[in-house]
Amino acid sequence: MAARTLRPLILICDDELPLRELVKAVLGDGYRYVEAEDVDQAEEVLKESKPEAIVLDVMLPGKSGLEFLSELRAKRRSKGIPVVVVSAWQSADDQRTALRAGADAFVGKPFDPKDLASVVEALIAA
Amino acid sequence: MILVSALGAAAIGATLALFFVANARLRSANSASARSATVSAAAFDVRASVVAIDVALQQVVEEYSATNLAQWRHASRSWEQPAAALERAAAASNDQQERRAHALRDEIRSYIDDYGEPVVGIAKVSPSAVRTSDANTEGTLRLDQIVTDTDAVARNAAVIAADRSAAASRLADQATIAGIVALVLTPVLLILLGLWLARVVADPLRETVAAASAVAAGSFDVRLNERRRDEFGELAQVFNAMTESLAVSRSELIERADSLERSERHKSELISMVSHEVRTPLASVLGFTRLLLERNLPESDRQRYLEIIDAEATRLAALVSDFLDARLIEEGRFSLRREPFDLRSLVLEQAEVTLGHDESHDLELELPERPLQIDGDRARLAQVVGNVLSNAVKYSPEGGTITVGAAEDHGHARVWIADEGTGIPPEHRGQLFQPFYRGDAAAAGIPGTGLGLAVSRRIVEAHDGRIGFDPLDRGTRFWFDLPLEAAAAGRL
Repeated sequence: MAARTLRPLILICDDELPLRELVKAVLGDGYRYVEAEDVDQAEEVLKESKPEAIVLDVMLPGKSGLEFLSELRAKRRSKGIPVVVVSAWQSADDQRTALRAGADAFVGKPFDPKDLASVVEALIAA
Repeated sequence: MILVSALGAAAIGATLALFFVANARLRSANSASARSATVSAAAFDVRASVVAIDVALQQVVEEYSATNLAQWRHASRSWEQPAAALERAAAASNDQQERRAHALRDEIRSYIDDYGEPVVGIAKVSPSAVRTSDANTEGTLRLDQIVTDTDAVARNAAVIAADRSAAASRLADQATIAGIVALVLTPVLLILLGLWLARVVADPLRETVAAASAVAAGSFDVRLNERRRDEFGELAQVFNAMTESLAVSRSELIERADSLERSERHKSELISMVSHEVRTPLASVLGFTRLLLERNLPESDRQRYLEIIDAEATRLAALVSDFLDARLIEEGRFSLRREPFDLRSLVLEQAEVTLGHDESHDLELELPERPLQIDGDRARLAQVVGNVLSNAVKYSPEGGTITVGAAEDHGHARVWIADEGTGIPPEHRGQLFQPFYRGDAAAAGIPGTGLGLAVSRRIVEAHDGRIGFDPLDRGTRFWFDLPLEAAAAGRL
């Protein structure tokens, strides 16, 4: 039981259900997952728990993922959580904007499952 | 130019003419005084010969002798020549003088014939009879009269000469004054002519050069004065027309370049939007496929992943065909499958499809009790209502009420959809129905192709309808009108 609670918690914030499923399938059983369809839900999650990493979509209904990220970085409590931005907007400009907003890594859609897995692994290990 | 030149020439000509006239008058005055001298001399000769007649007659009366008689005969003939000379000279002056000289001649002849000859005849018979004072008195009177008349002719000639001379002198004075005036006026006129030439030719030329330089430098708002009534006025008109057409073509070019730039921007926004819309399902398809290929998964997971792949690939296909469909409609390459139906049911159905599962928006329906029967392509019109409804949802991210209504209005069926969203900024209102036009939506992260309203307008217009929108205090109300079935049938 102790080993189970040690599995890192990952917040997946994406409005597309298949994408959330994909992220879970790619990262596998080594993590625990909590899901949010938009920024409001993600904020609720953060009130109750502190995930080890966040996989964040940019284009969300209502408030955008990058806006959420900036607010996250401004709060002491959530400042240090590693965030991987996963977005279909993947031009050099989009990547720069994401990194400037405080992302630790950027993965474009569609992505190779191995890439996302290794990025998340590396961020949690660090 | 011609006017001033003519004025100068006329002044110089008038002065010269005045000089010629003055000269001619002086000459005529000179010849008049010469004539006057001739007349005076002739009058003197006449006077002398009349005195000789009188003397000869007196001598005949004193002593009737052959010598004295010969004297008388000579004297009574020798006046003829001076009298004729006087008449000729007087005739050269004027008619009055001529008449006087002629009368004088008659007077002398009458003195000789009616008095001299009878006196001589009586003297021959009775010399003492003619020495009476009566006869002498009559002779003296007649003679005095002749002398007086002779003097009058001479005096008149002098008066005429003096008159001519005075007139000539006056004219000469006038000519002198005119000459001085012309002398002063000519350079003044020349200076004026120069100034006028400068104004009429040099100034407009300079203005034209300046304006042409300005146009060459790219400033097309310069205009020349067109109100001149000479060749420069015509030039100004042509120049202004040229400048205006240059300005128009330039602004057209700029407008075209701007619109090209806009449409390029819209296209590139469209491409990134489409690639985003396509990438999301593609990410699922590729990701799960890779997992299936690379990992040894339990059967239950394999089944679930395959289902997701199927659903996402189907979504992808629908997306692509929607987009192609939108392009076809936007380009006008579509036909309507018309059928009569009640617009209310379509509106209700679309409201439920779009807003049925939407928890952030409240739906308010305003539908009439009577059916709104129209003849149209139900699927296409459903697309219009769906487009406008999904816009209402997309552009009111904060939620609020979406009002969907329909009513009969002047033979038309009107459908309206109002939201309480962000509204449309005035600068975007004109281009809203342009294909690919999305205003600030791309920057605001609102998905879409910019084709929805363009397609909707095509569909509504293909139904002989109209589509538009009214900005509200909060949000926007979109509406479209379609002819009711009766009206449509009536027009056929």
